[in-house]
Amino acid sequence: MLKIKIYPRRLINGSLSFLALAAIIALFFAYRSHAQHLIAHNIPVSLDHLPYYAFCSFYRMLAAYVIALLFSIIYGMAAARGRLYERILIPAIDIAQSVPVVGFFPAAVYFFVALAHGSRLGVEMAAVFLIFTSQAWNMALGVYEAVKTIPDDSRDALESFGARGWLKFKRLLMPASVPKLVYNSILSWVAGWYFLIACEIITVGPASYRLPGLGSFLWEAAENGRNFDLAAGLLTLLAIIVLMDMIVWQPLSTWAEKFRYEFAAASGAAQSLGMFDALAGIGPAVTRVLRSILLPPMRLIASALNAMPRGPQLSPEQGKRAGQIVRTLVIGAIVIFVAWALAKGFFALIRTLSQPWPSDAKEIPAAILASTIRMTVAYAISLAWTVPCALAASESPRFNRILSPIAEIVGSMPATALFPVIVIFVIQVTGGMNLASILLILTGMQWYLLFNLLAGVNQVPEDLKEAARAFGLSRYARWRKLILPAVMPSLITGSITAWGGGWNALILSEYFVYKSQTYQVIGIGALLDAATYKTGNGVMILLSLLSMIAVVLLLNRLMWRPLYNLTTERYRLDY
Amino acid sequence: MALLELKHVSKNFAHAKGTLQVLDDISFDVDEGEFVAIVGPSGCGKSTLLRIVNGIVPMTSGQVLYRGRQVDGINLECALVFQSFALLPWLTVKANVELGLEAQGLPLAEREKRSGIYIDKVGLDGFEEAYPRELSGGMKQRVGFARALAVEPKVLLMDEPFSALDALTAITLREEMLDIWQSPDMPVKTIVLVTHIIEEAIELADRVIVMASGPGRIVKDLKVELPRPRDRRAEAFNALSDKVFSLIEERG
Repeated sequence: MLKIKIYPRRLINGSLSFLALAAIIALFFAYRSHAQHLIAHNIPVSLDHLPYYAFCSFYRMLAAYVIALLFSIIYGMAAARGRLYERILIPAIDIAQSVPVVGFFPAAVYFFVALAHGSRLGVEMAAVFLIFTSQAWNMALGVYEAVKTIPDDSRDALESFGARGWLKFKRLLMPASVPKLVYNSILSWVAGWYFLIACEIITVGPASYRLPGLGSFLWEAAENGRNFDLAAGLLTLLAIIVLMDMIVWQPLSTWAEKFRYEFAAASGAAQSLGMFDALAGIGPAVTRVLRSILLPPMRLIASALNAMPRGPQLSPEQGKRAGQIVRTLVIGAIVIFVAWALAKGFFALIRTLSQPWPSDAKEIPAAILASTIRMTVAYAISLAWTVPCALAASESPRFNRILSPIAEIVGSMPATALFPVIVIFVIQVTGGMNLASILLILTGMQWYLLFNLLAGVNQVPEDLKEAARAFGLSRYARWRKLILPAVMPSLITGSITAWGGGWNALILSEYFVYKSQTYQVIGIGALLDAATYKTGNGVMILLSLLSMIAVVLLLNRLMWRPLYNLTTERYRLDY
Repeated sequence: MALLELKHVSKNFAHAKGTLQVLDDISFDVDEGEFVAIVGPSGCGKSTLLRIVNGIVPMTSGQVLYRGRQVDGINLECALVFQSFALLPWLTVKANVELGLEAQGLPLAEREKRSGIYIDKVGLDGFEEAYPRELSGGMKQRVGFARALAVEPKVLLMDEPFSALDALTAITLREEMLDIWQSPDMPVKTIVLVTHIIEEAIELADRVIVMASGPGRIVKDLKVELPRPRDRRAEAFNALSDKVFSLIEERG
């Protein structure tokens, strides 16, 4: 058997040095063209500026991810702390996850632009916020699950030594969260790219704000028919994603294995470290420099703190009481703040809705119906190709081995990057948007289905498959009796996420401005976009957003949730 | 005065339908230097009892006194050894052993000195930088012992420490632990062992407390007056284990 040797320090050093290197290169490019860009409002699409666009996109992603990471650790650990937190925070995630985030982008732009007094910083903040909302929830859930599944004995061991607070966090809670955090970070980056490109496209397309980045680069290149630039942009994006995977995610995933409770020997996991070893030499140097910069001030602070006069000595009971008072105050402040914000939002909502409703509010039911039909068509197409693929993968391990990595690479490409190409091509060919819209929804749906189905197929125990063969079941009977029931829970989970992705894509897919002409279909996304970018009617924005959210939540409650409970109950594989 | 005194300890767990009583009116003393074994069928709450003594599980009613005083929260004079070893997979042997010392806030040099001593004592020198997953079950439990001993507790609490090991490893480790316990430089002399293996209890302990389940209660408190080292094949040994077995059998 292959024995895996992990060098965690080398891994960390390697990734640190590589990130530092990337940052320096990126900063150089950014600085070079920075000055011209803040002045010039319209974005010249040329290859010289491509590094700058890529840099902008990457740093937007990085900013959002860092915030999402901190948020998810705090949120997930808080949710795992006690019953009360759990009952509030977990359903909140459930709702936040199923709400189509893209719909909030215009609102976020208005909010943050006002906050930043009309500067571009506001648009940047709105974009970072939107990407954050696409990244944070699954990571927070991952932390929550990881902390919840820490074996009782491990907790007891730390507790019996009186280890609490920082030590418990450092030694138990954080390490135990690492595998799920890394896994979910990968998913979050995929989702993040999708939304990043979406924000950048929206801002060049219908809105009047400018957000330089790969998304706007791609759109402008496509609009002006500059196919070479378009290809270069797409390649740059692909290169960034593949490099990130090789340099950051694969080594991190290998490193994260160290923090697993049950160590499944993933064979060959340590193979992709070649480049890493070469870079690892720079790592210690970088670490040394960082240390020499960071340590003296920290020592200074520590000694200053030590020199401070000691407060009154508290007995353990007094200390406990003081802690409780502080905790009550902090939680109280948070509750009051949240309540205030909610009340304010609620009143604003009432005020907006009590204005006279515009006449096109009547169109909302029909628009929702049209959108739902388009979603259903896209979903049916997704099912039509992913289910046979999954069945084929269950039949042939070879097909599975080929399909999985290809699907992983293609699926990790943000489908939004292809929107300009698809839209412009379809508009030119058919002159209308209906087909384009369905295609775009499809790109937001199909991968979730495929990945969940493949995961489900891979979970079918080998001995059950052997048993089915041994009893001479025909291929068709095997599918019907074993494979399909076994993947049912995965199919439902995949469908829920696919519809979530689909609603987001829907908003982007129903309304486009191409060569100063508006293309749209009947749908709730088009109503929302038109209200946002054309008429700027606040009531209409709010009404379409609310009705869409209502439909999404109703579908979840009335259809997906019961289906999920039913399938996990009936087709669970624990025998 | 006894080192540990349990007075009318009861424990209820909240349940989907009402409450479930797991421990009913448990009272006994443990003297300084005494090796007490608690034997009982699975589900009699003996592991919960051990955690109540340590203070990591609160009791519903009753008192646990340490040197005549009630302990508020966790009794840091106790150290636990777990059936599942409860090692942190991401820490090396050395870091695992130093966990309790870190919680005590000992400086690094002192921590390293102490972990060195106890890793040595359990026969793991050379494995300081190994990770738990690279060790066999027996070696993992040695780390568990070293981690508990390193904090130099006054009471060592052992929760089925040999039950997850294969029979041969368990025999070796049992003997070695007994040797460590009997060696003159061993700081901790008082031990409470929880086990479902009757022979293990009789072989190791000065006193065997027999529990029955549903709810967990004490049915007998027996002194073991066999001379050490004890021979499992001796007639007196067998007579005693038969007696304990029938006690569990008729009440269990």
